[in-house]
Amino acid sequence: MASTGTQGGGGGDQKGERKRKESIVDLTRYLEKMIRVKFAGGREASGVLKGFDPLLNLVLDDTVEHLRDPDDPMRLSEDTRPLGLVVCRGTSVVLICPADGMEQIPNPFVQAD
Amino acid sequence: MDNQRNNQNQQRALDHTIAKGCANLLDEIDKRLLVVLRDGRTLIGILRSVDQFANLVLQQSVERIHVGDKYGDIPRGIFLVRGDSVVLIGEIDQQKERYAPLKRVEMEVILEAQRIEQEIKAERDARRAQAFKERGLLYQTEAGITEDN
Amino acid sequence: MLPLSLLRAAQYMPMLVELKNGETYNGHLQACDGWMNICLRDVICTSRDGDKFWRMPECYIRGTNIKYLRIPDEVIELVKEEQTSNSSGGGRGRGGGFRGGRGGTRGRGGRGGLTGRPGLGSSGGGGDRGGGRGGRGGGGRGGKFPRAN
Repeated sequence: MASTGTQGGGGGDQKGERKRKESIVDLTRYLEKMIRVKFAGGREASGVLKGFDPLLNLVLDDTVEHLRDPDDPMRLSEDTRPLGLVVCRGTSVVLICPADGMEQIPNPFVQAD
Repeated sequence: MDNQRNNQNQQRALDHTIAKGCANLLDEIDKRLLVVLRDGRTLIGILRSVDQFANLVLQQSVERIHVGDKYGDIPRGIFLVRGDSVVLIGEIDQQKERYAPLKRVEMEVILEAQRIEQEIKAERDARRAQAFKERGLLYQTEAGITEDN
Repeated sequence: MLPLSLLRAAQYMPMLVELKNGETYNGHLQACDGWMNICLRDVICTSRDGDKFWRMPECYIRGTNIKYLRIPDEVIELVKEEQTSNSSGGGRGRGGGFRGGRGGTRGRGGRGGLTGRPGLGSSGGGGDRGGGRGGRGGGGRGGKFPRAN
């Protein structure tokens, strides 16, 4: 998918090893865009993608963390807290999606029959 | 396009390299198996494929829900189960299954029974969590303990 | 046919992915790799309790966090076709395909299978029978499946 491995965060300079290391997701498309990231353990954050590497370590700017319900850590509350510029460790990233276009919707699985 | 054949060869190679006495899922291929996941769910399906991580492909699978002495099946089609979320895999003995003291009920019935059971459990969990919190502790649900690493 | 090869054969098909944390993602598989990392398109995310829903244009999911995937029944038919057309004369090895699957599962319309929440039916929300989105299909049935990479 990714046509080049040389943009974005560091680590793209090596000449060899290109084909094998290529990720199935092209994060260059998200550079300078707001993305939503979910982490192992349940935390969630959104921020502007400033850089990344093949291990999916991310640099996010203007990041906000979406806080969870203190009574039920599995549920998200409406609260957020600003984190600013952060580095996300790739191994703990479980999901990445663009923040615009992501919206909460009513139940789309209405009973048809 | 040679991939298919490669895969077959791979699987055959896998076959030969597995030491005797080790747990070997390849013998279970094409049998109807019961698989229990770490979240407590029970799947029953025909094992079609396995790999070195014990990832499974189950065909014509159903999710079996037990509530008390009743059970019900929900058809689920093809599953690709990640190996690390599997707790156990077992062959089903059709003979013994017949004499199990369990009653089979319709899907709707078992789903309703399950809903009620879960409501009760959620209520109990909420009470426990509250009691723990008052004592400055964190209550982990049973599911939470088995699911988180 | 190893589990991951099957997943690759399911490229562009609608599928349901449940994560270890209980969230489910319905979407069309865009890409996958040898670690089961996947990219989905036109995704609907369902919360653990089945009471909240999000739409996402696309998302990347790390393989280690997947509990299981549910893929359409047709994939196995497709794999079989591909195998018979490719492996003429090739020895049939151990997991040499999904033998014995009768063609009976095709075209059983209207179940809407994968769009329903598979969950424990914990709340009224998801609706276990799914209904929804007018079945599957469309994406990528045209015979040839472009390979990832």
